Amino acid sequence: MSVYEIRNMAIQIDGKRLVEGVDITVEAGKCTAIIGTSGSGKSLSCLTPFGLTPGEAQGSIILDGIDLIHADAHQMQDARSRLTGFVFQQPLTALTPHLTIGAQLQEAAAQVGPPRLSRHELAQKLERVGLSRADERLDQFPHRLSGGERQRVMIAAAIAHEPKLLIADEPTSALDASLRGEIMALLDELRLEKGLAMLLVSHDLASVEGHADHLIVMDQGRVVECGSTANLITNPQEEYTKRLIAATARLDEPAPQLQAVGDILLEIEAVTVTFPRPGWRRGKIKAVTDISLYVREGEALAIVGGSGSGKSTLGKAIAGIGPLTSGTISWQGQSLPERRARTISMRALIQPVFQDPVASLDPQWKVRDIVAEPVKNLQSEILRKDRDAMVLKALEDVELGEDYLDRMPASLSGGQAQRVAIARAIIASPKLLVLDEATSALDPLVGSSILQLLRKLQQAKKLSIIFITHDIASARRLCHRIVVLDEGAVVETGDMDLVIRNPQAVTTQKLIAAS
Amino acid sequence: MKALFKRDHWPLWVVLSVMALALILPAVLPWTYDQIDWDAVRAPAFSGSHIFGTDEIGRDRLARLAAGTQVTLMVAIAAALVSLVVGIAWGATAGWVGGKVDEAMMRFVDALYALPFMFIVILLMVIFGRSILLVFVGIGLVEWLTMARVVRGQVMALKQRPFILAAEAAGSPPLTIILKHILPNIAGVALAYLMLTVPQVVMVESFLSFLGLGVQEPLTSLGILVKEGADDMDMTPLGLLLPGGLLVLLLVCLTIEGERLRDIYS
Repeated sequence: MSVYEIRNMAIQIDGKRLVEGVDITVEAGKCTAIIGTSGSGKSLSCLTPFGLTPGEAQGSIILDGIDLIHADAHQMQDARSRLTGFVFQQPLTALTPHLTIGAQLQEAAAQVGPPRLSRHELAQKLERVGLSRADERLDQFPHRLSGGERQRVMIAAAIAHEPKLLIADEPTSALDASLRGEIMALLDELRLEKGLAMLLVSHDLASVEGHADHLIVMDQGRVVECGSTANLITNPQEEYTKRLIAATARLDEPAPQLQAVGDILLEIEAVTVTFPRPGWRRGKIKAVTDISLYVREGEALAIVGGSGSGKSTLGKAIAGIGPLTSGTISWQGQSLPERRARTISMRALIQPVFQDPVASLDPQWKVRDIVAEPVKNLQSEILRKDRDAMVLKALEDVELGEDYLDRMPASLSGGQAQRVAIARAIIASPKLLVLDEATSALDPLVGSSILQLLRKLQQAKKLSIIFITHDIASARRLCHRIVVLDEGAVVETGDMDLVIRNPQAVTTQKLIAAS
Repeated sequence: MKALFKRDHWPLWVVLSVMALALILPAVLPWTYDQIDWDAVRAPAFSGSHIFGTDEIGRDRLARLAAGTQVTLMVAIAAALVSLVVGIAWGATAGWVGGKVDEAMMRFVDALYALPFMFIVILLMVIFGRSILLVFVGIGLVEWLTMARVVRGQVMALKQRPFILAAEAAGSPPLTIILKHILPNIAGVALAYLMLTVPQVVMVESFLSFLGLGVQEPLTSLGILVKEGADDMDMTPLGLLLPGGLLVLLLVCLTIEGERLRDIYS
């Protein structure tokens, strides 16, 4: 029996039609997932029926026998509070900072009216979502909890009043990669135990396919395809779905053919980076402790870890744009000093690409000048005329044309901006690229095309790559070897496929479970 | 810069019109600001060639108003520009270098903030005598402090942005990064604070002049005109209302404009 049924829904904001012809069905104890890129209207479709967006919904929306389109204020309130629970993306902002965890839970449970829950009952609810020392937590404020713990509290609050429908809008995408698997498993467990109907919204196919019974693929405000998960994945009908499935990296896909590797180029030994704690004489934080690794010519090395594992700090130290406290970084036996002490010829060897493509381009500069910047400094002997030709060549290498030369960064999409950033990184013919989460801020389709581009460049130019990421599955498409970091130290290293098949460290196992 | 013409920036245009009038009027009026008309002492408005009448020693009010506005705005704009240059140089250096240098430079700013400004200016006047240069020095001494703090904060935030790191990796020397990447990106915020500094300086200058510490007679400024008008307000209220009203108009318009720019850029 379906708990929640939407037929032919259209949504408009200020007279503009943003979503059209959407059908959604969620059954008790089952999970329906909506997949789509940003701007596809997936969140809008979930929240608008409950009056949580400025949009206006038309069509037929029936939740447990209540018609939400024609509902009066009282019925709407009932539908929102008694029948539905919400879990949002940002666990920090979704919890009220000045209320204790206990007060938040009590408030959530009180939506359906008295009686107030006893302290013991509240603690039980926290225990149910896997929080230890539940009694103590009731008196704590949200800032005392980690991101994963906060999301558990959010889930506890969302189901505290025993709703029939749980709407989870990107419940794991703001969380650390190693926690995603656990949270999804918790949601599954609760759904089966309480017979909840669950509507899951995500941009990431990989994170929902093991959990959803039913999939709805959305693009540009329309449903592209829907069906049972197994059926849709093995036998997609629409071109868009096929591309989306192909773009989603999976650990069980056949291993890619990677190019042969040469001699060791970069070697780092016992690298440690410490930062002074903010404030006066508060001691130091060790971001990276005693890490040694090497990269061969033409080889791609994945550095994988959760947030705060020190992977970005390590990448910056290698690229010479971040501090290095102790240890050595050497290039074919020649030592590379720290940051500003690097010479121009050392700079030319290693170039970085960053996570946020838009923030990595100077908003005041034209694409032409952005891409030319490394040539101006690193190969200053090149004449202006030749430089222009090099810029054009670099843009062609990243599959952008001449018409991008005079564009400003603000007019570029995320994928285009990342291509410009890659063009800037490769123009001065470096030997090694340090890619810091270069695909994770992008939509899956765009991210996978960037990944393909990188593979192409790597083969054409015999580039070595350090690929810093939290996503093992996408790293596997590019990388020969993997280094897993946790708390600033190496916990596991080895050949990519060997590590995936037989992970030893707990961190590695968690990261694999998440992808 | 385009935004200045697109949005409704009427306050800026009011200020610019007042400025243009103050520059043009002395050239077309038959009287200069220090010329005494012995036949028309304390003449009422619209008597003969004196549109707003004359003051208690027979000087044309409109001519004096134009001259006073010129002096006030000149001092304000010059002092604001000085504060802009010093503030950006100081703030950008502190923000970029960071660490102990930053600490020392910003504590120096804090120390200057703590000085009783009026007291220092009066002391300077007493020691060196009154001159318009000292007014500049006194005002410039304090007005760059806020700018330095704002710029430092902006630079520190920008320094962590990936495009600055990319420029470093691309081998750009620090000075190039500051001039080509950082300064263009803080220009908007600096412009907004420049706009907010101008009315502050107008205030300070008028205040000093009102106390008799600013520019010297017969040269005049809005502050002096307000003081003269206040001395004589029971006889000829126009003498107070005209410069006072103009001062209020300028201050309000400049402040609104500054707040608008600040909202756009930060």
